[in-house]
Formats: sequence, structure tokens, C-alpha cells
Amino acid sequence: MRGPVIAGMVGAVIVAIAVLSDRTAAQSPFGDPNAEPAPFNPQMAALMSMLIQPRHTKLGLAGNAENWPLAGYMLKELRQGFAVAAKAVPRWKGLPVPDLVDAAVSQPLTLLDYAIKLKYRRQFDEAYEGLTKGCNACHATTDHAFVVIKVPDASSFPDQEFAPKP
Amino acid sequence: MSSPIRRVGRMAGAILAITCAVSLAAWAGGAGFGDDDDNSEEEGPSYFGFVRDTSGATVPDAKVTVGVKNRGGVVTRTDLLGTYKVPGFGKEVDPKEVEVSCDKPGYKQLRVVRRSSPSSDPKIPIETECTLQRI
Repeated sequence: MRGPVIAGMVGAVIVAIAVLSDRTAAQSPFGDPNAEPAPFNPQMAALMSMLIQPRHTKLGLAGNAENWPLAGYMLKELRQGFAVAAKAVPRWKGLPVPDLVDAAVSQPLTLLDYAIKLKYRRQFDEAYEGLTKGCNACHATTDHAFVVIKVPDASSFPDQEFAPKP
Repeated sequence: MSSPIRRVGRMAGAILAITCAVSLAAWAGGAGFGDDDDNSEEEGPSYFGFVRDTSGATVPDAKVTVGVKNRGGVVTRTDLLGTYKVPGFGKEVDPKEVEVSCDKPGYKQLRVVRRSSPSSDPKIPIETECTLQRI
């Protein structure tokens, strides 16, 4: 009578130890600290947050302050950011990123370039609005209409001066 | 009235059963959740493209018909970016039999160019560009 009971208990202990040891051997959900460093391969959301959104903001703040050298610099940076993102992720959800970026922002970027070179505030504002609409149109095309970009109404860079040097 | 040994035995049996059930689920990879709407197995490739004018500018709000030869089709419109998207037809539909046409008041269709062939990756749509000319 005691034999099956003891066998059951021993079985339970063996299975419990197996489960527990498997758990302790499991890695942290954030990876193995002893692994080789993996190549950094940011995907679209990270690229947008790193390369596009801050540059879009800074471009708007620079134009609003009529700091044309800074606006020109940020426009170049933003253009490069789009190129890097399109090269890093040429297809996103199966859609051709370079074509989408071209359709969304090429024209307003060109108009911004003219406005900055002419130091023409009104044209800058119109082209910047067009750029922002292009961003949102692209978000809608890629089923991310809930990510709404707008003309910045405040600086998110308290450590940077946007007004031109006197 | 059961003896203490029997009670311990029943408890041990219950623990064994629960432990086995939990460990089996873990071994099987845990609870998996497939997308409810993931029917890519049954569907063919989707269809995507731009409608442009002769200058290369994209044309929003153009009517796009994606049809299967002699079997009707789907009508959609281009979005603000001038793109259209149509989900895949059934796998029995040969993509070669799918035709795209576009239309907008004040324009006529100039040409339709298929930019890609069906890919082995079902997530990559077949791209077809439609060009409109002002009349």
C-alpha cells in the first residue's frame, strides 16, 4: 500500500526539481549577459524616434525662430535621416519604404530648402506644414494613422538655443 | 476515515498531476496566440501601388479597380499619398490574371506597369503603378 504512495511522492519531487532547475537556467527576458554583443539593428519605430522626429522638431523650432543656418542644418540632417531609415528598412509590412518616403516628403523638403535659402518665413511655414502632413499621410498609408505629428508648439530641447546668434 | 499516509499520497498525486500539466505546457512552448485574422495561408498576395500623373506626382483620390479576368474585382481609391492597397484574393487566383486600372475625373489612363512579380514572401504585395494623363 505504501509503495505506490512513495513512488508518487518521489515522482512529484523529481518533476518539481526538473521544472525549477529549468526556470533557474532560463535567461533574463532582456537577454544573456554573457552573450556576444549583437549588431545594432533598429527597426522602423526606433528609427523614427531617433532620426526623424527630433530632427523634424528641431527644424520647426529653428524655422520658427528664423534661425536659418540651424534650419538649413536640420533640414540636411532630416533628409539624411529619411535616407538612412529607407536604406535600413527598405520594406516595412511589405510596403516599399523608399517610394513611400519619396511620395510623402520629397516635395515639401525641396520647398523647405528654397524657403530656408530665401530666408522666407511664410514659405517655410507652408512647406513645414506640408512636410508634417506628408508624415501623417505616410502613417495613414502604413496603418499608423494614430501617430499624429504636428507643428511643435514648445521646445523639447531645453539645453539648446534655437534663436539665431545676435 | 482515511489514514494520514493516504492523505499524503493523494496530495502527492495531485501535486504530480499539476506539475506534469504545467511542465508539459511549458515544454510545448507555453500558450501560443495566433492572430485571429491571420489568414495569409489561404490568401494569395495582396496588391499595392501608386497612381501618378505624367509628371510623376502621386494622385490622391483616384479610383482604382483591381479585378480578376472575367470574375469581377475590387474598387478602391488612392489615399493622400496616392497609394492603394487591396488584400489578397484566394490562393486559387493566379496573380497573372489580376488586372489593375485607374481613373479620375479630368484624367485618362495612360499606362499600367507591374513593378514586381509574386514573391515567395506572402507579406510582400504585388506592386502595380498606374499613370494618368490630364485630358
